Amino acid sequence: MSAIEIRGLSKKYGENIVLDKVNLTINKGDVVAIIGPSGTGKSTLLRSINLLEKPEEGSVIINNREISLTTKSSKEKLELRRYTEMVFQQFNLFKNRTALENVMEGLVVVKNLKKNEARELAIKHLQKVGMGDRLFHYPRHLSGGQQQRVAIARALAMDPRLLLMDEPTSALDPELVSEVLTTIRNAAKEGNTILLVTHEMNFVKNVANRILFLENGRIVADGTPKEIFDNPKNERLKEFLVKIHMLESPDFTI
Amino acid sequence: MSKIFDWQLVFTEIPALLKYLPVTLNLTVIALVIGWAVGLLIAFVKIRNIPVLRQICSLFVSIVRGTPIIVQLYLTYFGIPIALKYYNYYNGTDFNVNGVPPIIFAIVALGLNQSAFDSETIRAAIQSVEKGQVEAAKSLGMNGFQIFRRVLFPQAVTVAIPSLGNSLIGLVKGTSLAFTCSVVEITAQGKILAGSSYRYFEIYCSLALVYWVLTIFVERLFAYIEKKMSVPEQVTVLKGGAVNERN
Repeated sequence: MSAIEIRGLSKKYGENIVLDKVNLTINKGDVVAIIGPSGTGKSTLLRSINLLEKPEEGSVIINNREISLTTKSSKEKLELRRYTEMVFQQFNLFKNRTALENVMEGLVVVKNLKKNEARELAIKHLQKVGMGDRLFHYPRHLSGGQQQRVAIARALAMDPRLLLMDEPTSALDPELVSEVLTTIRNAAKEGNTILLVTHEMNFVKNVANRILFLENGRIVADGTPKEIFDNPKNERLKEFLVKIHMLESPDFTI
Repeated sequence: MSKIFDWQLVFTEIPALLKYLPVTLNLTVIALVIGWAVGLLIAFVKIRNIPVLRQICSLFVSIVRGTPIIVQLYLTYFGIPIALKYYNYYNGTDFNVNGVPPIIFAIVALGLNQSAFDSETIRAAIQSVEKGQVEAAKSLGMNGFQIFRRVLFPQAVTVAIPSLGNSLIGLVKGTSLAFTCSVVEITAQGKILAGSSYRYFEIYCSLALVYWVLTIFVERLFAYIEKKMSVPEQVTVLKGGAVNERN
């Protein structure tokens, strides 16, 4: 069953075509990773789905509803955003709120849950990401990895149909990356549908069940980690994998 | 030789001045509310970059910041009656120009002056909140009003409080010019008292004391608010330890 279907998504910055009529169907429970060189529209694709960017064309089918990505109706925009949640590279926690309040915020303000229900749910999600002992810490009292785990809890608490993750470990110190990756792996195991942009290739290899290689605004390769890493068919994909040392180049073999 | 400087008078005249303290406070508070409300509107227009309105607001801020407040008081004092006369003339109405209480002129001038200065503070404070947090709020599905109320406003206030406090202190002292609109507040009362006793210097000393104490009070109040609103330096120590459920 498909969780989300994206149709004909196009986005330009001026004359520069960033996304070129992208079509993508993601099945429920899938963990889909987007890889590719920088500037190929990976982040833009994610941000367009959540309408943080304004695409020129395209629509999304989610929960049996087709919503145009160019919609002017703020009601439709909110509806789409409520189906999807975003985890950002820079965490983007609310600085004036504690970890607990950060997770409760969407539950109370958007989902209109009662304070104590929201609190219970928020604590449950914070415990899942291993932040149950830091409920009353403000973001400034938390390390980058801890902040990102709170941000993941904040997104998962909203029970999204699709979780979007935009380079969630890129802003972290190397030693903090693994705690966040473990959190994402757990979220994946629990059956969340995830669309993830990342440069952590080994993680992608182990956790994702589908990989998209994006170049110049098009999906040029689409397959399982085995197909992508062990048996790449596309020339550009091969080049890319050589560059990031995921594929041995003939130059280095004797 | 009689007393050249009667220092006792400095203190004994204070109660007579304080009779008009409510007028000073009224002027301050109402002008402040107008200043913040209009200032917020101007800031909003500038942030949203609304055409036409933006240019009008910029012109307004430029004029207000570029002219002395005493001139602005004269402009409202003479300008409002003229505007009213024109209105009466063209609409056949019969509003009494002399019926407008003089304090209105002072409130309008001080309030608009305040709004021009505070609008820039408010705009800068709102724009100082990271864009990323707004995106996070959008992503959660909050609407524009919720984002403003829950994310932007609380954080902008913390940033703006010190500057707004500063500008409020300016306003407190600015009310002393209201006598030019024939409003009797503490400065005008001081002049009246001095006029009958010829003890100008003593009474101006009392006035200085009253304004100084008032200003200290405002300073302390804003320092307290600033402390209350900021994110604590240290992690809060929890009472009862009910939180550490997973150690």
